[in-house]
Amino acid sequence: MTTAAVHPYVASLLAGSGAVPKSPAAWLDARRASALERANALSVPTTRDEEWRFTDLTPLTKLQLQPAALPAPVTAEEVEAHAVPEAAVRLVFIDGILVPQLGSSGTLPAGVTVLPLADALKSHAALLEPHLTKIAGDDLFASLNTAFLNQGVFIHFAKGAVLKAPIHLLFVAAGQNVAAHPRVLLVAESGAEGCVIEDYVAQGEAAGLTNAVTEIAVADNAAVRHIKLQRESQKAFHIGSCAVTLGKDARFVSQAVTLGARLSRNNLAILQQGEGVEVAIDGLALIDGRQLADTHTLIDHLKPHGRCEQVHKTIVGGGAHAVFNGKVFVREGAQLTDSSQQNRNLLLSDKAHVDTKPQLEIFADDVKCAHGAAVGQLDPDHLFYLKSRGLPEAQARNLLTYAFGAEIIDRIPVPSLVAKLEAMVLARTEAGA
Amino acid sequence: MSTVLDTLVSQPYKHGFVTDIESETAPKGLNEDIIRMISAKKNEPEWLLDFRLKAYRHWLTMTEPKWPNVTYPKIDFQDISYYAAPKPKKKQSMDEVDPELLRTFEKLGVPVHERAALAGVAVDVIFDSVSVTTTYKEKLAEVGIIFCSISEAVHNHPELVKKYIGSVVPAGDNYYAALNSAVFTDGSFCFIPKGVKCPMELSTYFRINTQDSGQFERTLIIAEEGAQVSYLEGCTAPKFDTNQLHAAVVELVALDDADIKYSTVQNWYAGDENGKGGIYNFVTKRGLCKGRNSKISWTQVETGSAITWKYPSCVLLGENSIGEFYSVALTNHKQQADTGTKMIHLGKNTRSTIISKGISAGHSNNSYRGLVKIGAKAEGARNFSQCDSMLIGAKCGANTFPYIQVNNPTAKVEHEATTSKIGEDQLFYFQSRGIGTEEAVSMIINGFCKDVFQQLPMEFAVEATKLLGLKLEGSVG
Repeated sequence: MTTAAVHPYVASLLAGSGAVPKSPAAWLDARRASALERANALSVPTTRDEEWRFTDLTPLTKLQLQPAALPAPVTAEEVEAHAVPEAAVRLVFIDGILVPQLGSSGTLPAGVTVLPLADALKSHAALLEPHLTKIAGDDLFASLNTAFLNQGVFIHFAKGAVLKAPIHLLFVAAGQNVAAHPRVLLVAESGAEGCVIEDYVAQGEAAGLTNAVTEIAVADNAAVRHIKLQRESQKAFHIGSCAVTLGKDARFVSQAVTLGARLSRNNLAILQQGEGVEVAIDGLALIDGRQLADTHTLIDHLKPHGRCEQVHKTIVGGGAHAVFNGKVFVREGAQLTDSSQQNRNLLLSDKAHVDTKPQLEIFADDVKCAHGAAVGQLDPDHLFYLKSRGLPEAQARNLLTYAFGAEIIDRIPVPSLVAKLEAMVLARTEAGA
Repeated sequence: MSTVLDTLVSQPYKHGFVTDIESETAPKGLNEDIIRMISAKKNEPEWLLDFRLKAYRHWLTMTEPKWPNVTYPKIDFQDISYYAAPKPKKKQSMDEVDPELLRTFEKLGVPVHERAALAGVAVDVIFDSVSVTTTYKEKLAEVGIIFCSISEAVHNHPELVKKYIGSVVPAGDNYYAALNSAVFTDGSFCFIPKGVKCPMELSTYFRINTQDSGQFERTLIIAEEGAQVSYLEGCTAPKFDTNQLHAAVVELVALDDADIKYSTVQNWYAGDENGKGGIYNFVTKRGLCKGRNSKISWTQVETGSAITWKYPSCVLLGENSIGEFYSVALTNHKQQADTGTKMIHLGKNTRSTIISKGISAGHSNNSYRGLVKIGAKAEGARNFSQCDSMLIGAKCGANTFPYIQVNNPTAKVEHEATTSKIGEDQLFYFQSRGIGTEEAVSMIINGFCKDVFQQLPMEFAVEATKLLGLKLEGSVG
């Protein structure tokens, strides 16, 4: 460590980063060191920072967090409860540490590699070097993650490799006061196709921080689907950043569902580096109690002919607080971009509130861009109609709330997840009614 | 396409001339002595000097806002002269008004006396910060309306000014509002008493005349219970190379059942095609719907200024009060605009509508920035926002930054935004019907802005339509 952290809480989060074992690749050690330096110079963002204007991290700074030395005991049965039968392979991380015996592996088609990061650094270092830590940003939390970079997974789709079944990455938060910094790197070479599920769950009601970073490089004409479910405990803090680069004619789908955590922040940044990409971004946050769910997305159209369609929905009950910031940039020269963004928010209680900021910045004249944001409650006419058909008020409310969220869930092409999520949404709306 | 755009865009500023009137100018710089001097020159009461000094002291503790999406060289506030007034002369009638001044208005197409008489408009003429002439005052006085310069109001109606000044835009509200509160020289004051419907449209013309004298207008409009008024503000300024700062404050107060309509056509010098010169227009405009069923409506057509930075806002405090914002902002060459509105819903069943049309051409940058905030007690609040952008040429930018904050579940808030351009096929269709490109562009733009133009009072609507045509002459082809 060359300099000490400026901010005492950052210093406490960084304690232990020196214990991260040396990596087999010298370049990674250098990147970790510079991330540490960067984190040292940064402070915990406050609501005076535009990017964190509506999300107050003060409750996080009340926790004394450390990376786990050992994963908390979690049984195979407990893990099986979260299984996704459609998955080709499953990797399980407990408190940010890979537990190989809890994973499962089928046979993967030729050209598809799924490896723990530590192993991949030994066997596939040349494939990792151009991407690892190069795609994600360098804000405080990404820098922290890089400073601790050790645990994670590397997924590689070689040229033309196709895997229809999803790859299931299960992250279990189980220990008390644990800060986990998992990293996912997915590289899809040209013409490849694949799907990954990042699944964040909790075992018990432990308070801790999951600070995940995912980097995805989609080469020309490749297609990647990224599904993220977050259902951590009501005491947990979850900060996840996903950064994506897209080559020419690449396709990318992001589907994120947030149900858990006391405070969650989802960052998604998509950089269109080639012409003619196709992007779909779906988001759903269903929160109540004292939860806060913050989603920040950025789609940066650098090249012509990009298409992006985004729908972000929130269902906010209790005293919960939903935040959305969706940036759409159309750079000079990114002509014939077609980008649309919808943000719909359903408020279920008096104390619930929403802050939304859909943001368009356009520097090209021949583009089609639209965005819309709406905040409201259930339509009394819809309720009346259902009641006129004999449904009791509570049931009618549930049905409408459920339908509002189902639009997003139903688009996930993994039936077992859809069934599970629908059950969860129904349970939540019933409990809330 | 670009050639016509280019010619349209490069029309010289038609109102660029300097009127040669002897001005009494304060030395450059800003300190408490200058403020005392302004206050003394204007023979102000003690409380107003205190108001100014408090604002100045607060201003010293503030820093310039950095968040707007605009760039400009740092302003040296000590290099500005804070007071310029035409030499004081007592005038009994219009004939005694400096003929040079009258000629200026004629060049602008605003012959005060004729226009006032013909159009039935009372014009409170602001010429370099001091009200020179006021017409139709008696007619308005008959129904109890007070319409005068704010300096006059300070002397003749101090209790009203004292009660309302700073009540909507507090002296320390923001950097430029604090500066204005400290050094404002003149502006308009309008008071519509209970139950009175103003018999004519009230209007003022603003012109910045003396080089390097930043202009700090202060406008205060109060509509009592059941009163109604429509207020027009039109702006042009001569051509200068030095950037001029304009930091105005406008405050509107509407009591129960009152209705205030405030319309602006702003065509200040925007700088040349390389972005040299032009006015910095940093304005704070805010209306308070204090009473039940009150209504405040802002309509603006912003075509001038090198930099426009303004957010005419409504604070909807009274139950069932209504806020409206209709805006057309056109930027060309190197102009920058960061404009929009704030609708703060505090009372029950408050409603607001935002219609914003941004047109960018040349190398300009046009941003809509808005806030719709629904307070926890604003049961049944309703907002609809539509922000459309049109880009002409590939080197300009159009941005939207809408903030929506909802703290009450019964509120319904909708925001929509689209971006488009003048399509080749649209132009082709017009041409196939025998309509030339230039006319076609003008028609498309007028169609694009129609929702806003129809909110303008008749004569302004005509002027605004012409203005947009003029500003874009030759920019589409």
